[in-house]
Amino acid sequence: MDFRLTEEQELIRSNMREFAETYVDPIAAEIDESARYPAEVIEKLAEGGWMGMPFPVEYGGQGTDYLTYAIAIEELSRSCAATGFTMSVHTSLSLMPIFLFGNEEQKKKYLPPLAQGKHIGAFALTEPGAGTDVGAATTTAVLEGDEYVLNGTKTFCSNGPVADTYVTFAWTDKSAGRKGLSAFIVSKGTPGLKVGSHFMKMGIRASQTSEIIFKDCRIPKANLLGKEGDGMKIAMNCFDHGRIGIAGQSVGITQAALDESINYSKQRIQFGKPISKNQAIQWWIADMATDINAARFLTYHAAWLKDQGQPFTKEASMAKVFCAEMAMKHTVKAVQIHGGYGYCKGFKVERLMRDAKITEIYEGTSEAQRMVIAGTVLR
Amino acid sequence: MPEILCCFKWLIDESYIRASSSGELDLETVDYKLSNYDRNAIEESVRLQEEYGGTVSAITVGLPDSTKGVKDALSRGPEKAYFINDDSFENLEPSQTAAILADIISSQINYDLIICGEGSSDLYAQQVGPRLAEKLGIPCISYIQKVQIEGDRIVAEKKVEDGIEVISAPMPVLLTVLPDINTPRIPGLKDTLGASKKPVINISKDDLTVSYEAKIHTNAIIAASMERNCQKFGSETEDIANLARALAKEGVIK
Amino acid sequence: MAGVWIFAENHTQGLELLNTGRILADKTGSRLLSFLWHDHQVAEDYLACGADEVLLLPPLEESQPLEAYIPVIVDELREGDADIFLLAATLRGKDLAARIASRLDTGLCSDCISLKLDEDNTRLEMERLVFGGAGIQKVFCSSRPQMATIPPGTFEAAVPANSRREGKIRELPSSPATAVKILEKKAKERKSANIKEARRVVCVGRGIEKEEDLAMVREFAQVLGAEIACTRPVSEEMRWLPEDLCIGLSGIEIKPDLYIGLGISGQVQHVIGIRDSKIICAVNSDENAPIFDVADYGIVGDLYDVLPRLHEELGKLL
Repeated sequence: MDFRLTEEQELIRSNMREFAETYVDPIAAEIDESARYPAEVIEKLAEGGWMGMPFPVEYGGQGTDYLTYAIAIEELSRSCAATGFTMSVHTSLSLMPIFLFGNEEQKKKYLPPLAQGKHIGAFALTEPGAGTDVGAATTTAVLEGDEYVLNGTKTFCSNGPVADTYVTFAWTDKSAGRKGLSAFIVSKGTPGLKVGSHFMKMGIRASQTSEIIFKDCRIPKANLLGKEGDGMKIAMNCFDHGRIGIAGQSVGITQAALDESINYSKQRIQFGKPISKNQAIQWWIADMATDINAARFLTYHAAWLKDQGQPFTKEASMAKVFCAEMAMKHTVKAVQIHGGYGYCKGFKVERLMRDAKITEIYEGTSEAQRMVIAGTVLR
Repeated sequence: MPEILCCFKWLIDESYIRASSSGELDLETVDYKLSNYDRNAIEESVRLQEEYGGTVSAITVGLPDSTKGVKDALSRGPEKAYFINDDSFENLEPSQTAAILADIISSQINYDLIICGEGSSDLYAQQVGPRLAEKLGIPCISYIQKVQIEGDRIVAEKKVEDGIEVISAPMPVLLTVLPDINTPRIPGLKDTLGASKKPVINISKDDLTVSYEAKIHTNAIIAASMERNCQKFGSETEDIANLARALAKEGVIK
Repeated sequence: MAGVWIFAENHTQGLELLNTGRILADKTGSRLLSFLWHDHQVAEDYLACGADEVLLLPPLEESQPLEAYIPVIVDELREGDADIFLLAATLRGKDLAARIASRLDTGLCSDCISLKLDEDNTRLEMERLVFGGAGIQKVFCSSRPQMATIPPGTFEAAVPANSRREGKIRELPSSPATAVKILEKKAKERKSANIKEARRVVCVGRGIEKEEDLAMVREFAQVLGAEIACTRPVSEEMRWLPEDLCIGLSGIEIKPDLYIGLGISGQVQHVIGIRDSKIICAVNSDENAPIFDVADYGIVGDLYDVLPRLHEELGKLL
């Protein structure tokens, strides 16, 4: 066993840190407050090659491993969880399914602009009546000649309002059960594709989320991803990858909470001494640091398994649920350490606590992760 | 088209340094970084190359395990790096570093321009650049804020206490640059990945032809503390008047 | 003939070096020699202030940089077998020092903030700051001359002796031409808020409750003739003042005559930036705030209550 990162991974981590400190930290509070999409930051990420990390160079990517990608998401999220999430959805839920399940023609057409960050990718699966229960979806795709006609409404589509390329899911054969769901690539501007209402969220407010409405939306037959009936498999695979990104994001959020807590507790004087001299605070901070270490190793291990070509579904779920719940728990503590100030705008921990909550919900709730884990360990 | 050589140092990141309870500096748990000022030196080299063409190489003297620093430097633009390393190259003082660099540069490397940071972010002795120029017998323009190439000459704006001197010198020349000369780019992912593929010329102690004994010797490095009056007043008007008088007595209010 | 030698860019720096140089020369029982280039009129003054010999460097042509003196100075130091050579640590002075040290193959302590002779009165024990001010490096030089550059303001300026001092004034040969030419000299533009060089700085920290309250601090600063500055949270988190007014680690380091910290707790990251202030004065409501450990004078009290009266009291003295 070797727990060291490579020199390259360490440098990439510090470069992302410097990037985030330079371009993201100064605007993070503002884009949270105004729920603004940081297009200028995404553009800069694209310039640096960060928007297509774990994909081969021939498709416009950078050819890094998935572990390096998880580290980059962590460092970016440490400054702004919303920006980290935008990059994560784009990479894990949009590029990844096209890369893994697309045919050569699709890969050549869609991957390069996405991997270079000229296009932004989104993932449209959830529907008003179908959250964790993916099978309850109602969107349909009917083959008419050389085109599929899509009808239905997707909700909570991350990157929905800003995306150029959507990976979406619809029933091609509702009677076939799980085998009747198929995945499609839909480009922005396709007639019948409409961005519906935007959601005003509690946290990760700079990440853009909306409904996506398909109304007689006709897409070429060639936009079917994989085979008809592969939809469920593709969706689950997306989540496996996405969960490592969310785990990394959660570690980044908690690390930021720790950074803030250390800083504040050393400088906040009460009863004549910094509150960091109080054992209660020390224990909270010790627990925070310990959990971050554990969470980081779970995340890196899941990414490492993926890089080794090993099954990683269970480990990705373990990392995701652990990291998400850790982020929630410790950002609440971080606010507590900050006292009244932590409850106010202007202190980062207030934002971190709101941002942390979503990690327990999206890309499979914590309960859904436990279903996955239990399903494998009780087998 | 100029052949540019930039010098860099891989060193302790001072933000990790803590004082131990005994007043010593705790250097056990530190991390390393590329000296801040050398980032400007590398950036300026690359900027000149973008404007005038030519080549950019980087050079460093350090411990053999500073390979990450070499990659870091290369990720910022130079095409290749000269890595003079030995286990004994720890805590070299400026005259030693300059002697080692001069020895290798004069015997192995073609250059028109050498660019150094104004100092290093650990010791900040600001000597290696000027000493290196002396050893190589070339002109040195230090503390520059702006530089351009005009034919076979360098024209640079050198900062002095009372303003700026615009200086011209024939190449080859050595420059030391101030941080405000540019804003170093943050290496992107591709730059870092590309750095690993660039050539690194390893140079060992055996390749040196000169001796380089230390002239400056460090007895200790202790945590800096400030000795102050530490006189406290209350907030009654009389207290405040006393404080005002004390400041006047110090000669800082008059 | 050994001795202590000095070089400074201007008169005041020269007097500061004469002061410390005289002490060293007396202790080592040797002579104090000063180079002089900027103003030959002050040669007598230098003698009165402690120099045993003043070495006049001939004026330079407009296009000649200060480094033109290097060969002449090096020859003098060699010939005179100098023991100690101190230079004022101006930008040009530091450059000159490093290059002279290289030619003489000797060691140099840059930005030396403290120096004293060892028990045998032979070796200089010198101190300098390292790691961004977090550490003090104690060094000595094993070769001769022992060289150091000394930041202006480190020592008090020498004053003329009461009794008339005898001394020599000698003119040095002119300098050979240099490959390096000065094409133009541009005088410095005075920026309005140059806190790096401000003599007085009023600095605000988290104790300021609202952005509007800065107005009251500004008025106070104006009366004092002080520049306004802040701690990192005020610029970075509150964004009440621009980042280039932020003092401390990764911000600006200042050395005013008077620093007044208002509502500043005194985190080390900030304190690093003010350590060279001549006088540090702090107002904080918490008597245990760490700023008081590094302050010369402190007022324990509510900033909003203290400031108007401090304003008034200081105003009376100005």
